[in-house]
Amino acid sequence: MEIFSAFAISLQSVWLDSGFSALTWGNVAMIIVGIFLLYMAIGKEYEPLLLTPIAFGCIMANFPCTGFLEEPGVMQVINYGIKFEIFPPLIFLGVGAMTDFGPLLANPNTLFLGAAAQFGVFISLAGAMLLGFTAQEASAIGIIGGADGPTAIYMASKMAPNLLGAIAVAAYSYMSLVPLIQPPIMKALTTQKEREVKMDQLRNVTHFEKMVFPVASAILISLLLPPVAALISMLMLGNLFRESGVTDRLSDTSQNALCNIVTIFLATGTGMTMNAEDFLTVQTLMIIGLGLLAFAGGTAAGVILGKIMCRLSGWKINPLIGSAGVSAVPMAARVSQVVGQKANPSNFLLMHAMGPNVAGVIGTAVAAGTMLAMLGAK
Amino acid sequence: MDNQMSNPVVIMLINMTIVFAVLFLLSLFIRVIHFIDPTKPRTKKKTHPTAAPAKPKKAAPAKAAEPAAPVVAPGISGETVAAIAGALAAYGVGFSQIKAIRPAERRSWAGAARIRGLRNDR
Repeated sequence: MEIFSAFAISLQSVWLDSGFSALTWGNVAMIIVGIFLLYMAIGKEYEPLLLTPIAFGCIMANFPCTGFLEEPGVMQVINYGIKFEIFPPLIFLGVGAMTDFGPLLANPNTLFLGAAAQFGVFISLAGAMLLGFTAQEASAIGIIGGADGPTAIYMASKMAPNLLGAIAVAAYSYMSLVPLIQPPIMKALTTQKEREVKMDQLRNVTHFEKMVFPVASAILISLLLPPVAALISMLMLGNLFRESGVTDRLSDTSQNALCNIVTIFLATGTGMTMNAEDFLTVQTLMIIGLGLLAFAGGTAAGVILGKIMCRLSGWKINPLIGSAGVSAVPMAARVSQVVGQKANPSNFLLMHAMGPNVAGVIGTAVAAGTMLAMLGAK
Repeated sequence: MDNQMSNPVVIMLINMTIVFAVLFLLSLFIRVIHFIDPTKPRTKKKTHPTAAPAKPKKAAPAKAAEPAAPVVAPGISGETVAAIAGALAAYGVGFSQIKAIRPAERRSWAGAARIRGLRNDR
């Protein structure tokens, strides 16, 4: 009899120590959300490189009694990488090494399209403040409209760490939905004649220009906006590795091995912020709605400025490239190309759209810097 | 001041202005870099790819130059010329922009033909 009693006590203690005893309905719901995101990433191929670790991190975040974030270990290191903004600048190093600023250097006017697309960030910021978010939280939510995951995480970890999970998921989800969100807005705001506009071939950009640009812009922007110096400097350092021609190994590591390693940590860590207590709130739904507003606003503003530039240039600029100002490199540029080619099969807008596209990356970082400087970190 | 910082419209306007100003400065920087570039080709105006399409527009009144037919190498039929012109037109190149049609002098093509010939022999 005593044996049975001891057996029952042992079983009870195993049960009480297990995660099952502490599992809440919220945890179960979030694990289902994680599985759904995994399906979207693997089954539907929506940003699989990012969404897969985010989704798995979301599942892991909802295992009770793990002590992931309390005890020293790899999970805490990943958490520190996000909390202390280590990963986003490292991702930017890889992004810089992968980016060709040639189209932007060939046509610097496209920088304005990248700036116009930031309107979505600020319209969403205003909307968030009207819905009751603090100015800091609203600025972190608004940056979703920049369609730049690392910058969104950077801003959220500085301005609204409690909203990091929702902001990151909204940013990456909408980035993967760019081909669905943008075309209706682009078509609604342009005429057939505007969509058919063919653009002249871009001029050749010299090696000198490509080398001087990252150094000069890192100095200029970092001095103007020190809060984003880490992001911009790493972006430009990566680009210098690419363009210098003497650091091929560093460029290769930045854009492949290092970028992939940091992506795993950043995305898993982001997913691990999606615990039920923080994520299953009305605020999350508001953030997802505001993110859509930011994307739509940014796309519309880019296209509208594109229309103005089209008229001012004597129909030499196709307004469709304006939508590429919302970063999301290179998907937004591809959308401009697809929509332009549907209007006129002989239209090739991809390289022209890459100008505002990379300008959008810089524009989003600048927008983040201005908000950090103006509103201050939490 | 704090009151203004809590006004969403004020924040929006200030930030948009700063973003445009910084990117405008950056565009100026890009132009300066291009201007001081010691490696850019000296004969830029003649070889500049963006300047090339502008010239025909300025020279548009001289209509006599426009219908000039491309120089066609001997042995190329009119049908081939039409097919090439049609293919180029699909990419936005007008007939008047085609200067010459001649066989490409590429060893790789000759090599490919030789390999094909050898395979046919077998």
